Amino acid sequence: MRTLVWAKRVAHACLLLFLGLSSIGAHGQDEEIKPVPILVGYPAYFTRVTGGQVQDAPSFSPLLLVPLGDKWLIEAKGNLSDTYAKNAKGDYIGTVSYGLGYAQIDYIANRFVTVAAGRFITPFGIYGERLAPNWVRALQVSPLTGPITSGSSLGGMLRGGFPAGTDKINLNYAFYFSTVNTNHLLATDRSTGGRIGFFMPGPRLEIGASFQQLLQLDRSHAVGLHAEWQPNALPLTLRSEYARSSGIKGSGYWIESVYRLNQLPYLRRLEVAGRAQQFFAAPKLTKAVAAKLGALGRDTNQADFGLNYYLRSDVRASASYGRQFALGKNANIWVIGMTYRFIMPLAPTSGAKGGAL
Amino acid sequence: MKMKFSINGLSLLVALFLCLALAAAAKTGNGKEKGKDTSAAAVTVNHNAQDDTMRLEGEKRFHSNCGRCHAAPPKFPPRTMATIVRHMRVRATLTDEEMHLILHYMTQ
Repeated sequence: MRTLVWAKRVAHACLLLFLGLSSIGAHGQDEEIKPVPILVGYPAYFTRVTGGQVQDAPSFSPLLLVPLGDKWLIEAKGNLSDTYAKNAKGDYIGTVSYGLGYAQIDYIANRFVTVAAGRFITPFGIYGERLAPNWVRALQVSPLTGPITSGSSLGGMLRGGFPAGTDKINLNYAFYFSTVNTNHLLATDRSTGGRIGFFMPGPRLEIGASFQQLLQLDRSHAVGLHAEWQPNALPLTLRSEYARSSGIKGSGYWIESVYRLNQLPYLRRLEVAGRAQQFFAAPKLTKAVAAKLGALGRDTNQADFGLNYYLRSDVRASASYGRQFALGKNANIWVIGMTYRFIMPLAPTSGAKGGAL
Repeated sequence: MKMKFSINGLSLLVALFLCLALAAAAKTGNGKEKGKDTSAAAVTVNHNAQDDTMRLEGEKRFHSNCGRCHAAPPKFPPRTMATIVRHMRVRATLTDEEMHLILHYMTQ
């Protein structure tokens, strides 16, 4: 009888210990998951017809992510594309282009600050950093405001996101300094600037502002505003950006809406996207400067409408039509193609306790 | 003879007392064990409730943050997911709490 009682007591103690350890394990589970290096890739093939000019552009954008320990991350993204188009003689010629989107090392110093160094995407607005990859963008045609600021920077950056005194608002920020690089593949400007945003998880609304000061050439500055909203009641995303340069690069804005047809049984994989934008060239540009600036040298209005169909969660077919209105350059823009996204671990993923590099 | 009956009676009383005492002790012991059962169950319930809360909160954060830019990805192996979430913490400036909640949700 006594043995039975003790056996029961030991059994209960073991049960309690097990439950306690499980509980502790559950709390620390996320920390115990050791990340592995991975390769992410976006192979894509798009045919684009701009004002009757056909371009076929297969492209590949590999992204390497190497976590080091608990706080470090190396990120490197390359771009490779081969654009086929007819030349003046009518021959179908391919032009290979490649580049380095970014190659940076990040150190997560604490819950407020992440330090990044290397070549990185300039934190101005939301399109460049978050929406530009082929796989992510809702419309393959880029906004006209993109070239107003330097797309890439070389130097250091402080960034992070944290609750702004309440759980209802998150503050996110990024401040950077970039040095000049004249290499034709890795060109960057000497500049400084940053972005600050407030994200409200409840209504799923983000508003923010950006600033960039060029520290070379005409020493112009640029300011930007951005907003993004996803109503809780609808599978709809509304986003917008405004950018203005004090120099010769003009100003403009775009408004984009993306609606996923979740509520229709046979069309739930379909996404409808639309964008309207206006670009205003800087006043008093000489003809020579306007010609040198290309698209930034003339007022342009543009409207795009597109469809994205997710064949699988990682394969997307896209098609869009746009109409561009520019003085003497009105054009239809057709785009059709596919994107595939893969994620490949570069180390065994079995066992949560395996060490990172 | 009377003494023998007394001893027998006393023995009987002592035996009865012992039986009652053991029964009481056993009852008390059972009560303690029941208490332990209750506390163990409470730990389990608490753990499950906390786990559910974290998962639900993680799902909410996942949709409100990740869905802003791209379609919801499938769940990947935990160690792959940990790298992706760290990348997204930097790229999309997720908060520390959001990163942990999303990782918890995506690895369940």
